[in-house]
Amino acid sequence: MSAEYFERLERGLREEMEIARRARSKGLDPETDVEIPIAVDLAERVEKLVSIPGVAERIREFEVQGLSREEAALAIGRDFAEGRLGKGASRLDAIDMAIRTSVALLTEGVVAAPIEGIARVGLGKNDDGSEYLKVYYAGPIRSAGGTAQALSVLVADYVRRSMGIAPYKPTDEEIERYVEEIGLYKRLQHLQYTPSDDEIRTIIRNCPVCIDGEPTEEEEVSGYRDLPRVETNRVRGGIALVSAEGIALKRPKIKKHVSKLGIDGWGWLDVLGGEKKDGGGSSGKFLRDLIAGRPVFSHPSRPGGFRLRYGRSRNTGLAAAGINPATMMVLNQFLAPGTQIKVEQPGKAAAVAPVSSIEGPTVRLTNGDVVRIDDPSSFPWISSPEALRRNISKIIDLGEILVSFGDFMENNRPLAPASYTFEWWAEEFRRAGGDPAGMEHVDGRTAIRLSRDFGVPLHPDHTYLWHDITLDELDLLADAASDGEIDGDALLMDMREDVKEVLEKLLVHHKVRDGMIVVEDALPLLLCLGVDETGRRWRREDLNADNALSAVNQLSGLVIRARAPTRIGCRMGRPEKSDRREMRPPPHVLFPTGSEGGKSRLVNEAAEHGFIEVVVERRRCPSCGKEGFAFRCECGAHTERVRACLSCGVRADDKCPRCGTETSAATRMRIDVKGTLARALESLGERVDNIRGVMGLTSRDSTPEPLEKGVLRAKHGVFIFKDGTSRYDLTDLPLTHFRPREIGTSVDALLDLGYTHDIHGKPLESDDQILELKVQDVVLCRNAGDWLLRVSKFIDDLLVKFYGLEPYYNAERPEDLIGRLMIGLAPHTSAGVLCRLIGFTRASAGYAHPYFHAAKRRNCDGDEDCVMLLMDALLNFSRSYLPEKRGGKMDAPLVLTTRINPAEVDKEAHNLDLSFIYPLEFYEATLRNANPKDVEGLIDLVSKRLGSEGQYCGFGFTHDTDDIAGGPRNSSYKTLETMIDKMKSQLELAKLIRAVDATDVAERVINSHFLPDLMGNLRAFSRQSVRCVKCNAKYRRPPLSESCPKCGGRLVLTVHEGSVRKYLEVSMKVAEEYGVSSYTRQRLELIQMEIESLFRSDKVKQTGLADFV
Amino acid sequence: MLEIVQMFAERGYQLTPEALEILSKKDTVSIDHLISSLDASTVVVSAEHILSLLNGRRGRAAEENAKPVSQTVNEPPATTCTPEQRSSGVEVEVLREITGRSTCIGDYTDFVKYFRDRYVKIRDLLSKRMSSRPIESLGAQTTGREVSVIGMVMAIRNTSRARVVELEDPTGMVTVLFARDSPAYEDSMLLVTDEVVGITGTSDGRGRIFAKSIVWPDLQAQPQPLTAASGGALFLSDLHVGSNKFLMDTWNRFVSWISGEDPTGLSSDVGCIVIAGDIVDGIGVYPGQEDELEIKDIYEQYQLAADLISQIPSWVKIVISPGNHDIVRQAEPQPALPKEIQSLFPGNVMFVGNPSWITISSRPVLIYHGRSIDDFVLKIPGLSYREPELAMVEMLRRRHLCPIYGNRVSVAPEAEDHYVIDKPPAILHCGHVHVVGITRYKGVTLINSGTWQGQTEFQKKMNIQPTPGIVPHVDLSTMKVRKLRFT
Repeated sequence: MSAEYFERLERGLREEMEIARRARSKGLDPETDVEIPIAVDLAERVEKLVSIPGVAERIREFEVQGLSREEAALAIGRDFAEGRLGKGASRLDAIDMAIRTSVALLTEGVVAAPIEGIARVGLGKNDDGSEYLKVYYAGPIRSAGGTAQALSVLVADYVRRSMGIAPYKPTDEEIERYVEEIGLYKRLQHLQYTPSDDEIRTIIRNCPVCIDGEPTEEEEVSGYRDLPRVETNRVRGGIALVSAEGIALKRPKIKKHVSKLGIDGWGWLDVLGGEKKDGGGSSGKFLRDLIAGRPVFSHPSRPGGFRLRYGRSRNTGLAAAGINPATMMVLNQFLAPGTQIKVEQPGKAAAVAPVSSIEGPTVRLTNGDVVRIDDPSSFPWISSPEALRRNISKIIDLGEILVSFGDFMENNRPLAPASYTFEWWAEEFRRAGGDPAGMEHVDGRTAIRLSRDFGVPLHPDHTYLWHDITLDELDLLADAASDGEIDGDALLMDMREDVKEVLEKLLVHHKVRDGMIVVEDALPLLLCLGVDETGRRWRREDLNADNALSAVNQLSGLVIRARAPTRIGCRMGRPEKSDRREMRPPPHVLFPTGSEGGKSRLVNEAAEHGFIEVVVERRRCPSCGKEGFAFRCECGAHTERVRACLSCGVRADDKCPRCGTETSAATRMRIDVKGTLARALESLGERVDNIRGVMGLTSRDSTPEPLEKGVLRAKHGVFIFKDGTSRYDLTDLPLTHFRPREIGTSVDALLDLGYTHDIHGKPLESDDQILELKVQDVVLCRNAGDWLLRVSKFIDDLLVKFYGLEPYYNAERPEDLIGRLMIGLAPHTSAGVLCRLIGFTRASAGYAHPYFHAAKRRNCDGDEDCVMLLMDALLNFSRSYLPEKRGGKMDAPLVLTTRINPAEVDKEAHNLDLSFIYPLEFYEATLRNANPKDVEGLIDLVSKRLGSEGQYCGFGFTHDTDDIAGGPRNSSYKTLETMIDKMKSQLELAKLIRAVDATDVAERVINSHFLPDLMGNLRAFSRQSVRCVKCNAKYRRPPLSESCPKCGGRLVLTVHEGSVRKYLEVSMKVAEEYGVSSYTRQRLELIQMEIESLFRSDKVKQTGLADFV
Repeated sequence: MLEIVQMFAERGYQLTPEALEILSKKDTVSIDHLISSLDASTVVVSAEHILSLLNGRRGRAAEENAKPVSQTVNEPPATTCTPEQRSSGVEVEVLREITGRSTCIGDYTDFVKYFRDRYVKIRDLLSKRMSSRPIESLGAQTTGREVSVIGMVMAIRNTSRARVVELEDPTGMVTVLFARDSPAYEDSMLLVTDEVVGITGTSDGRGRIFAKSIVWPDLQAQPQPLTAASGGALFLSDLHVGSNKFLMDTWNRFVSWISGEDPTGLSSDVGCIVIAGDIVDGIGVYPGQEDELEIKDIYEQYQLAADLISQIPSWVKIVISPGNHDIVRQAEPQPALPKEIQSLFPGNVMFVGNPSWITISSRPVLIYHGRSIDDFVLKIPGLSYREPELAMVEMLRRRHLCPIYGNRVSVAPEAEDHYVIDKPPAILHCGHVHVVGITRYKGVTLINSGTWQGQTEFQKKMNIQPTPGIVPHVDLSTMKVRKLRFT
């Protein structure tokens, strides 16, 4: 079944490749063939990424031998050391290749770290004259992750030994340099783990390879400067990452391999502290660096915060958490599908997805009634913020948050006690011989009867949050109930604030009518309070309880479970995204306009100058010898690039034979923009204005795109990214099952796409059946559809008018693109993944199978990545366009994965759980805070299905949802206009939510957002650069001449009083209103004083005063 | 008793017997304070006067006890000296500083005026040593000829073969090349951005000069000052009162010494103390500072600082200028501490801005907190925090306290560049780096005055070893400097 699916995708790919090849063969592009190599499996991907022949074959051999990924990575290092691979390479080149290949293997050949994260290797001299090995890490090594970083050092050591290179013997000063530098890096950038100074000393003193690096930060060290063997005083990010997140954090992993391989000289690893990585233990860390406008929903573990419910819906898992769409609405619509939240546990962050089958928020209405809102449609006012404000006076409880077992497994977090929910009760009921079907909600009388008859705990519908009240409060409520009136199943009590407060804490729904509190269906409540039907309290003296929960267990004579023992603190992270990718300013074409193009880099504007002088690639026609920058010569032949050494002028393809520097074809030329544009317009038969190019080109050879592409893109309003492709960015959300109605695709169309049966094996007939998503199919935001349609029209025009071929897409509506192939690609990676569009969603996100996200090395904790049309990438991508700078090869489809093999995706997806039901033993284990590993056996996981057909289908989920796009479409963070509006709404929400301390939020917003902003802008003002309004030239400092030394234009400041003052007033107001600490208030006063001093002349002040007196 | 009467009489007051009764139980130092706080229109001082003044003081002291501060303040030791013996003739006069004269309103022309003022003042110094031409005159006719220009450095970059410096004057910009094999190359390593220098070299007529030499505005060697002066002055900075690393014991030893517990008698001729900034640790100066503060309220920090300063005998004149931890704007030049803070301090303290020019017994003294030392250390090879006095030499060589713009130091673009050292001072006094450094350069005494704060976590990381509790003492007649240790 899956084979047929993959075959279908590959057939489609072959068809598009065929067309693209025909187009490319016309010689109108830098190369005459498609430039994205296809990789079937991981081995091939690694080989293509590192471009070393023979690597794929060896990896497949290791696979057959049953080596793990990590073992294979070390084994391949040995191959290089012993000359089996990379034959004929020099010592250093062999080491270089060995490290790159093993890092590539460890990162599934997807991320850019192996090509971008390791700058080079080199040799240094120890004081005793022996040579040691230096590995220069660069910024992108971050994307490799700790394990690959650490193992790369081990591979380097391994290869070093076999080549007879001595270990590194650092000087004391060099060691201290690392201590200072890593500390400094920590202040500038995030480090998952910060080793102690002594740990750093141990690592550097003993590590047999010198961990060196390229400078990544502007900042310089100030203590240990100008060391003879350290080339830079600037901070080298790579050394901090590899030492801290690599060696120090992944110590156990290295140790395992060291002992397995019997490498000596690594015994010092034992000395390193056994500290856990930062963030262990439930904590308030998620509240750090609170941003203005992104609200806190619950302080850590507070009553009223999100109640933890275990399970996975078809749109959660892989770090995405489910919440009820009504909660999204009630939270001033700050949450929408795909919005990131920062959470207390199990991970650091999650994307939210709407799950309607879990409980929504409990609110106190302005009339005093307390209700739970599970279905937003039953409270029509919920969608209007004003009405919300009018109707709700308190959000007593946020409702449930659905977190899958797999997420606890992935984060290796001890299981937190589960809320008592229907699925748990159902398992207990089943075990007692009952049939829970249809019993999701029962009335109080039935609930009590079931508990008595079957000996099961009280149904969760009638289990209140007894653990949240004290014995005194219990007593108070019991007294009030006893004094109250019992009318049928309802309880009426005199309206008293203290009684009401206890009911609210318990989440007992009630109404306030005519001075009375009315609790409907109150029998279980009365039973728990120990009040009989005549209003008498019983057995109040012989109670032996030290808390209310145990008291109600005794009073009721039933088992009452803790309803919500775990609350998860939470705040908003990044808003969801669904938007086209744009560079700034956004170009239609990679064609240089120089300064003649003006601020908007307009090709037409440059054309008015006729000829302009720019740097472009020098190419020569092999048949007529004519030189220029065109890819196809006027004589029809495909031109060839002419590279030369920039300093010696010697012509050579790669390196200058004389001085060894890289050659380039980039040449300063006077080009005829006017003529080129006129010819392009004429040949296409188009009249298009405002084609946006770029100021200059940044690729190695300064290769421009054919101007025709820009004409057609401008015609269709299509913008491009640095590599010539047009992209659409979307927040990642997982999806394992869908209903046709949710994705707007007809049953017929789905049948065509191969969706023939629903999850129950019934033939697909209605749009309400649940279907299992195929692993490379995606559902995108509707906006993406509109945009893809434009790109498809551009592509069709391009095929017809530029390449002289048939149109391919012929799409008139976004729906016409359903079934078309695309490429998914994540930032920091260099491998695209083939995918197929099957529908659209209202949500501002991209729904896809967890495997697809994992194949891009993403999870769904709020990350975003992009899609592009396959034909666009095949026709328009060229390596020649990629910027020459570090990181330029990241986020480019250097290789394409056509078929997802779950064994070869990011291992996080292996922890996805697939059960329909979590067993009773699981819930019981949560009460013991069991380690997820100990209960792994109870739950169906991807890791158990690898290698079988079941790895692709037959998945389950525990909780269904009405609509994968429920709740608001966009977070109000995006719809509210100004930062002040956002913050007002944030603080308003803080006051409304019981689980939030509004003063703390105000304090944090000021401290982590407004104060740094104010101080930063003040500093920036006093150290600012200036800018020319005419040519946009920037000067580090205002020049002595009044006008721009380059063009004579007017110069202006880049930081103004307005931008410095921006948040002062509002900060001071908030500080006042919310009573923040005097320390914070004094800091604001100081800033106010400074602003007054900077922007008001003393002379004015004096005359002002004199005038006044 | 007689002493007390005399003290009052000296200042033109008469005492009632009841007042004398009360005062005889007090020590002389606080009496001196009392006198200075008396209304000048009073002639006969009654018991009521005394009591109301004393209560005012006691009220403050009582408040202090209520504060959760663990640091204790030593009662000033009694001394037997009389004021007339003590007014050692050391006169302090403020020549120039920013307080009340700030013109900056933060628009573009402010910046232009600021840098032009710098350029003009230093160009005038350089013009005495070289004849130069405006940059705009370097046309084709100068091709191959030797030219000299005076310009401000806009940018410095290195290529494989040369150091390339963009130099500008108000008429234009020129590219100056220091070839790696040229004799001026070594000198060019010392160039920093935004300083004004003279360059001599060969013009290529197309906007480039191949440099042969650099002229800095440097000082000429100074003869010893001719005017006679006597007495001694002490130079302090970086008290950081309020920090949990403030060294109270060390301070107390210092106070005992200055109050007369000094076997050498050196303290007796100290007429002036200069404190060059960072009186308190302040608040919000760096992230996480809150956790390293003993006193988290900046006004309470100053209250304690004022109490500590009051322990210094009142006949010693004290000059306080602010630093980057103080309660004034961060952008330099900084005005003197605000009036409400000044009022906490005793009457023998005068407040000036940063930087400021003062004279002590007619010796010109330039006080600058020294924020720019951070930039010097970073940009000039061979400088380090261990020897801050060498960075101060660089200030004199450039005739500028803070040439580098846009790095660590925030500047307020005032119409006048207060950093320019147009005349050589007798003493240049800085602080900021917490390391004592003393040297002499071309007749100028350079003093970096250390700190009263122990090593902070940050300094540990940055490999900065502070030298707290050391006070440089200058004998104003000989200009000899000695270091007094109170650790």
